[in-house]
Amino acid sequence: MQDYSEAYARDRAEIEDLMARYLFALDYSDLDSFIEMFTDDAEFEFARGRVKGKDTILETVKGFKKRIGEHYKDEDGNPAVLRHVLAHTAIRIEGDRAWTRAQWFEMANDGPGKSLKMGTFGIYEDKLVRHDGRWLFSERRIMNEFLPGRESGPDNPVRGLDQAARA
Amino acid sequence: MSYERDRAEIADLMARYLFAMDYMDADAYAECFVEDGVLDYAMGTTTGREAIRAEAHAFRENIARIFVDWQGNPAKLRHLVQQKAIRIEGDRAWNTGFWWEMTNAGPEGRPKAESFGTYEDELVRVDGRWLFQRRKIYNEFLPGRESGAVNPVLAMDTAAGA
Repeated sequence: MQDYSEAYARDRAEIEDLMARYLFALDYSDLDSFIEMFTDDAEFEFARGRVKGKDTILETVKGFKKRIGEHYKDEDGNPAVLRHVLAHTAIRIEGDRAWTRAQWFEMANDGPGKSLKMGTFGIYEDKLVRHDGRWLFSERRIMNEFLPGRESGPDNPVRGLDQAARA
Repeated sequence: MSYERDRAEIADLMARYLFAMDYMDADAYAECFVEDGVLDYAMGTTTGREAIRAEAHAFRENIARIFVDWQGNPAKLRHLVQQKAIRIEGDRAWNTGFWWEMTNAGPEGRPKAESFGTYEDELVRVDGRWLFQRRKIYNEFLPGRESGAVNPVLAMDTAAGA
């Protein structure tokens, strides 16, 4: 069980800020900001597999963003305006390490007449470390309920979070 | 104790609650309530942690009856909590939160927004841990479960002693 110490609120606030900055960086294709949120040996797992190391993550995400631009288009064939949205987040913090399970969804302007259309949804499963006073992702796994083989569950993801923190 | 500390802990409880609910973890769900906690929602009012645990074991069946995907399988249902007004007085707290829910029950398995409503909660701190004393769930799409015309935060502030 999480011991909600005096430091929990501060750490949680900082981690929530990181998670918001991550989404703005990704949705606005600011990959310089994006990659600075990872540790050097971070692992990143998403629709296209699992990659390790900051440089490899950057190259992989660059390629992925390019392909998203090709697939997600508005009615006129322009790259769609895509936004990821974060909802509730369970955050476990133990000293300089932390874990999250967070609900996300996405939406874009790729509906009829450039109207809003819901995309997919899933969860983030993260490991974070505090490095030089700053929280960074050491692992981010992105699960998506609409991609076969990438679904979260069936077990309650928060059980996995508490187990990881005990290990 | 400070407001931001209590608020952070209550936000974590809210997230753990929703993961327990959506992934049908009846034990983790029941553990979000105090022993004599009350769950008041669309299916009725349930009092006591053990009764809530039993109620949570029926979530899967109940949800499968209401939400099916385009191929007739039980849909994946996700509740999301957005803004939360939280009032804290010592070891007691009140929350008015906005929730909505989505599924994969749209055409050809696409996402679909299903409904929205409010949580109106009473919380207590027991042995250093915030838990639900009472969670009342309003749903603007269920006749008889609407939150009503009056700002729910007013009732919360009145309950807290204004």
